[in-house]
Amino acid sequence: MIGIIEALINGILMGSIYGLTAVGLTLIFGVMKVINFAHGSILMVGMFAAYWFVILTGWNPYFAIPVVVPLLFCFGYYMQSFIIKPIFEAEKDVREPITVIIVTTGIWYVLDNLALMIFGAEFRVAKTSVTGQVFEFYEMYFLLPKVIGAGITMVCGIYLYWFLKHSRMGKAIRATSLDREAASLMGIKQAKIYNVAFGLGSACCGMAACVLIPFYYVYPTVGVPFDIKAFIIVVLGGLGSIPGAILGGIIVGIIENVGAQFMAATWTELLLYGVFLFVLLVKPSGLFGQKHDY
Amino acid sequence: MKQLLNQNPKILLISALLLGTLLILPLVVTSPTLMQIFILIILYAYFTSTWNFVGGFAGVLPLGHSAFIGIGAYTSTVLFQTFGISPWLGMIVGGILAAMMGVIIGLPTLKLRGAYFALATIAVGEGVRVLVENVKQVGPLMINGPSGISIKLAESSFSAFQFDSKLPYYYIILTMLLIVLLLTYFMMNSKIGYYLAAGGEEPEAAEALGIKVSRYRLIAMAISCFLAGLGGTFYAQLMLYIYPKSILGLDLSFEIAFIALIGGRGTILGPVLGALLLRPVSELTRIYFGSMLPGLHLVIFGFILIIVMRYYPKGLVEPVKILLNKLFINRLGKQGGPDETDSAGKAD
Amino acid sequence: MPLLEITRVTKKFSGLIAVNEVSMNVESGQIVGVIGPNGAGKTTLFNCIAGALPPTSGSIVFDGKEIAGKKPYEICQLGVTRTFQVVKPFASKSVLYNTMVGAFAHTKHLHEAERKALEVLEFLELDHKKDVVSKSLTLPERKKLELARALATEPKLLLLDEVMAGLRPTEVTDMLPIIRKINETGVTIVIVEHIMQAIMSLSEKIYVVNFGKKIAEGDPHDVVADVEVIKAYLGDEYVATQH
Repeated sequence: MIGIIEALINGILMGSIYGLTAVGLTLIFGVMKVINFAHGSILMVGMFAAYWFVILTGWNPYFAIPVVVPLLFCFGYYMQSFIIKPIFEAEKDVREPITVIIVTTGIWYVLDNLALMIFGAEFRVAKTSVTGQVFEFYEMYFLLPKVIGAGITMVCGIYLYWFLKHSRMGKAIRATSLDREAASLMGIKQAKIYNVAFGLGSACCGMAACVLIPFYYVYPTVGVPFDIKAFIIVVLGGLGSIPGAILGGIIVGIIENVGAQFMAATWTELLLYGVFLFVLLVKPSGLFGQKHDY
Repeated sequence: MKQLLNQNPKILLISALLLGTLLILPLVVTSPTLMQIFILIILYAYFTSTWNFVGGFAGVLPLGHSAFIGIGAYTSTVLFQTFGISPWLGMIVGGILAAMMGVIIGLPTLKLRGAYFALATIAVGEGVRVLVENVKQVGPLMINGPSGISIKLAESSFSAFQFDSKLPYYYIILTMLLIVLLLTYFMMNSKIGYYLAAGGEEPEAAEALGIKVSRYRLIAMAISCFLAGLGGTFYAQLMLYIYPKSILGLDLSFEIAFIALIGGRGTILGPVLGALLLRPVSELTRIYFGSMLPGLHLVIFGFILIIVMRYYPKGLVEPVKILLNKLFINRLGKQGGPDETDSAGKAD
Repeated sequence: MPLLEITRVTKKFSGLIAVNEVSMNVESGQIVGVIGPNGAGKTTLFNCIAGALPPTSGSIVFDGKEIAGKKPYEICQLGVTRTFQVVKPFASKSVLYNTMVGAFAHTKHLHEAERKALEVLEFLELDHKKDVVSKSLTLPERKKLELARALATEPKLLLLDEVMAGLRPTEVTDMLPIIRKINETGVTIVIVEHIMQAIMSLSEKIYVVNFGKKIAEGDPHDVVADVEVIKAYLGDEYVATQH
């Protein structure tokens, strides 16, 4: 029984971190109506950046946040403005902009394999002051970095929600996601919004990355499982909904961890795919999504 | 048939030359390693051409094609190992199973929009891989999970679908490719082809014209998956060893999709062109850089994909046609200018 | 018996009643117009007939068969074809290709479909552009293509959804004889339209819809003089063009 509660809480902890990456993805989708297949790879870039930061400075990974997050913001911002934008523009009137999806897939491949070439396939662990520390709670043990990570991501999620609701830029972003033509007629520069959205989405990955390295292995294809989970979460929670992404993340985290109590880890993977397909077929707009005509 | 010959003479000439070269290739190439490379090039051209039925004509983006290849491969292999059934028969059974799977998966997913469909196919593809990796055996059927199956060596013979020399493999796959290409051509110029194109471009308008779009997409899916399954068996018999990572999973699915997209989805020669251009890149980078820089060929693929999609989202077939056209102007002094579309806007 | 018999069709969208117990009859060979201010429910009604939306209640009988709730492709196969207000050509394909897609509704053979399509294109005087890629056409040409495609399916009933939308006055005038020509070959036409001139000169009978209800029906000139109809149109919703 304790084991299940422990798994449940672990699921919530890990799930909120998954949720943060999903928030980034859903933000990009909500604004641009594009599914960024390279999202996991961006996370991977963030993780390597955070890793090297920690190795080189010997500091606490949380100090990497002010470095890695802006770094990834710029990464995403410029990736969108140089690579994705021209293709996006060209496909503006096309019913289903598949080419952009294809290009993000290409970026995924390039990033993952470049990392493979440069860093090699080994699994790395960042030895930090928090690595391996355990937090005890009523005879249940939780990895401290996971708890901290979950806390930080929750805070980020709330901040992002507030930002979108109340700040000027946030409102502009929401306007664009609701009706880009109307927004542009109101003087909101589309191109800038897309860049910012991509940057923010990538920054979320950056934050998640910093929070992950104290307890998660770093390797070139680490982005892939996160990428796939992010898709699942985003569909589950509803494309374009931030609370949906966080909630979806928690659900996925719970399924993964509680499921592992009853079956081998690889079967939980299959379970997740099953849930994913089920949601896609039964209620593709997810928990909080709107019925778009994308 | 008459239609086939009515095509643009330049295209016919080039195709004939290409075909001729491919047919006599084994007379010129003697090294088995080199032959193997050519066989794989043709095999990939085959795979991408089967992908084309759905990804090219139905207008959606399937990213889980390897699942059907794998089903074909595993079916014929397991049937052979367990019951001694000839791989040729196993091939047909595998194809049918793959087609059935394709239809079952297609029924709910083909109604989804672009990105959602792509995601669903990824989930299915990965799901199949994880499933196979986790299963050691089902009753008397040995599947061996992640370690895969080694095919029992048999006397080199047609019925056992195993040969000592590379030549028979080469001609078999070449024949399979030609059949698929012909099938593609006839389909494009038939009611099914028109209906698929219509459903892919404007499904609402198509429905208003009496087309049950989902039905035709399913037909395309069934054909595509059946043929993919056949290719899977061929691969198994060629390599004599299959395991989940080699024949199932994201890498193969993506590579096939990339090649088709770069070459030109929805055209007959596009996927073939893609395979002809990209497979050698893959092989060469693997041979020369494989040990030092693993994954280089995928980086190159990714770059090429991004650049091609940026400038030629429809693939390289058109620009290559124009290029060859210009060459023809110089060589034969024929009438130049960009390729005119054939009558009735039929694709060629 | 009327070719199309619509009986008390209602369409509700969670709380909003878009079409409220509308009944209409269309005799074979007629041109019937449906007019009404913006948001009156004409398009929703149209979509219910065409199968794009299932009606909440009521019956739609075409040629003796109940078609309410059937899918668009089924309805087309039964002999009702619609055009779209925002034209949807298969943009990357030629005019002939587009039309052939329609022609395949009654044949399996390529040459048969081609023959039929060419016939239709000649009838609509679009055959000189048969090989032009449809995205290069002008708007009036695209409208004609939309008609050609629909005609190629050999419909008994043609549903035209604001086919004049977006056309300049001269283009509207050009379109009128074409629609009459189509009707003369025996195709019954129901036309939903905004442009007074078109409706007045084409229709033998018109229905007026407002707030989802039928508020008038009958001879065009009588209907237009009807007090209720004038009230509905106070506020200039109409585009009145000169003759």
